[in-house]
Amino acid sequence: MTQEEKSQPVLSARGITKRFPGVVANDGIDFDIRPGEIHAILGENGAGKTTLMNILFGLYQPDEGEIYIHGEKVEFKSPLDAIEHGIGMVHQHRKLVEAHTVLENIVLGHPHAGTILNLRRAEQEVRKLCEEYGFKVDFRAKVWQLSEGEKQMVEILKALYRGAKILILDEPTSALTPVETRLLLDSVQAMAKKDLAIVPFITHKLPIVLEISDRVTVLRKGKVVARLETRHATEKSLAREMVGRDVLFRVERQEVEPGKPVLEVEDLVVQSDKGFLAVEGVSFTIREGEIFGLAGVSGNGQQELVEALAGLRKPVSGRIVLDGVDVTHLPPLERWKTGLGYIPADRIHMGSIGDFTLVENVLLNYYFDQEYNRGGILDYRKARQMTEQLIEEFNVATPGPDVLGRNLSGGNLQKVILARVLSRRPRLVIADLPSQGLDVGATEFVRNKLVEAKVNGAAVLLISEDLDEILDISDWVAPIYEGRFMGIVPAAEAEREKIGVMMAGYNAEGVAQ
Amino acid sequence: MLEFITRSLDASMIFTLAALGELIGQRSGILNVGVEGVMLFGATLGFIVAQTTGSYVLGFLTAVLIGGIIGLLHAAFSVVLGGDQVVSGMGIWIVGFGLTTYIGSPYTGPLGMERIPAVLGVSPFFFVGVLLVLITWFVLQKTSLGLAIRSVGENPAVAEVSGIKVARLRILCETVAGMLMGLAGAVYALNYNPVWNYNFLMGWGFIALALVFFSMWNPWFLLGGALLFGTMWQLSLNPEMVLPGVLSRYIWRTVPFIVTSIALVLMSTPWFRTRWGAARPQALGLPYEKD
Repeated sequence: MTQEEKSQPVLSARGITKRFPGVVANDGIDFDIRPGEIHAILGENGAGKTTLMNILFGLYQPDEGEIYIHGEKVEFKSPLDAIEHGIGMVHQHRKLVEAHTVLENIVLGHPHAGTILNLRRAEQEVRKLCEEYGFKVDFRAKVWQLSEGEKQMVEILKALYRGAKILILDEPTSALTPVETRLLLDSVQAMAKKDLAIVPFITHKLPIVLEISDRVTVLRKGKVVARLETRHATEKSLAREMVGRDVLFRVERQEVEPGKPVLEVEDLVVQSDKGFLAVEGVSFTIREGEIFGLAGVSGNGQQELVEALAGLRKPVSGRIVLDGVDVTHLPPLERWKTGLGYIPADRIHMGSIGDFTLVENVLLNYYFDQEYNRGGILDYRKARQMTEQLIEEFNVATPGPDVLGRNLSGGNLQKVILARVLSRRPRLVIADLPSQGLDVGATEFVRNKLVEAKVNGAAVLLISEDLDEILDISDWVAPIYEGRFMGIVPAAEAEREKIGVMMAGYNAEGVAQ
Repeated sequence: MLEFITRSLDASMIFTLAALGELIGQRSGILNVGVEGVMLFGATLGFIVAQTTGSYVLGFLTAVLIGGIIGLLHAAFSVVLGGDQVVSGMGIWIVGFGLTTYIGSPYTGPLGMERIPAVLGVSPFFFVGVLLVLITWFVLQKTSLGLAIRSVGENPAVAEVSGIKVARLRILCETVAGMLMGLAGAVYALNYNPVWNYNFLMGWGFIALALVFFSMWNPWFLLGGALLFGTMWQLSLNPEMVLPGVLSRYIWRTVPFIVTSIALVLMSTPWFRTRWGAARPQALGLPYEKD
């Protein structure tokens, strides 16, 4: 490729506008990308990133605006058109057939796969790509057997095998372990060296943007609000552009003297739905005024552990003591009454009922209290008053308490759930992925509320895949790997690198377990 | 005894053809519980056309054509309109049952044509059935088209972003599925038991439907299951041929249905799902909408 070709944009978008009923998702977006460049698109949830991505990949057609590839105007009516013009997409929610093998996934839809599949030839060709960019993956394995990092590799390989020249990465490092993130960033840089154009779309991980990108385009409310060279940007400046105001990056961690033990777990063993042991004997204690951070990549037993603690799953053996009461065999309601507060990971399906109003959603944690339940009759007037109060206290953006749950954005819904759980002043708060999928502002809010609960004397169990979140506010960090704690590390000794290694199955001394 | 075996094979092939159609549709993600209805249409219209024109070829063609049309309609309802596939499938059965009874009753009675000649002692549909099983297996497992079909049935969103036209592929599969079901019906009414009668199919389509689940969506297992059910069915018609005096034919006749019920109950247990569950097309019965 000549120097002149390199300086010409391989893709440029001009005035991309897309309207949905009631909202302009993309409003006159311009941007371009050159070969060998890493050009990050940054924005909060709802800033229009997903819409833009879908337009670039042919899933949506813009209402206005044009896309040019090598200076030539193109129209993408379907992903196929986009693929044929050299666009490859690596989805955040992996688009792979779980039941098929790696190789079958890679060749799916490939025009030269042969009428009769020639998997042997494909394997040789893909192997060459692997060597070139440093990927390692078992081609014969079924996708469901792979880790998140490996699945992502498969998606990248699939795009490269289709001849992608422009690679769109949707939240590339979410759900990866620190080790996997390192590998990914290395191969992204290797690809850029080979003149691929790379467009990562990122919501949260600003340090990653600063580390790998050459340029950044920031979106807010569907518009481009900033376009800058990465070397002129800082984490603070990017966040300010994204959110439109200064953002406190580190939630103030507050030291409080820990009190009595609130949650004591002894040798807990829990089975998964598939019948294997998901939690293999964990013991830990959380005291008043402590946040206990459970760090791990999803699928290492966190879900089963939380369900056992909340009373949704029967443990095989072990003991759970909440505030001095053995709750191992008590149903969820009794646990709530003993002082449990549970914020489920899936706020849409487990945390709330979409067709219920906010009042009813709040009642889900209050209906059993005498104050709101008189001999089986619910006191809606009182519940409404409380909901109004919570809406104000927790800053929920909603027209009123009678709005249906499903009409709230993720961040506001999470605030409602947080409000109804924390307002009970629980002794133990289980916060399962509390800020997952939330934007910077809402994340900050959630973390502050958890710290506030701790200061008020609650014990908090925080489950997160975001290591920074854990390290920022936890007093103890327990990396979990395949159902076992790799150690329980006090915050002062919890260094990023060390915890990252432990999350991958090593103990604190770096010995594989 | 020889007659018993050839009759069993004939019966098995009807199950095979109908179930193979359903299997193809299901692998692409479309559930059609109205197999019985499609077979009734194929059988009745095939019977009428064959009797009227005196041509087997026209009879079978009519059956395949009407089956294809019903498959296409079911696909249009499920894929284009995103409707509930069980509702549509039940509709096909109810309409099929009612309408074919109405259309067919003037033709009640034997077909009155010379029997289709046997090839090497068995009916030619035996070879057709086995060949179609082979072709289906080969296409599904060894070709790009098959990979695309399987992917559409597992996860249409993945197929879409891989550049596959989900709607078109599903419509194609379900149309082929309907054609095979229509053919199966005609093989029953023109060859296996060439007499038109009220409710002559007596649930064969439902057994074929169950057979697909029973087969773990594998064409060879399906062929095996069909042979098993065909033999059991034949046994129920003349048990005295094989096991004289053991149980009445009415009890034997319930055997395929009981086996089907037990198999389906077993397959819906958590034990089964964790052990074998991966075989079921993950998007089966779910309409696909672009997000």
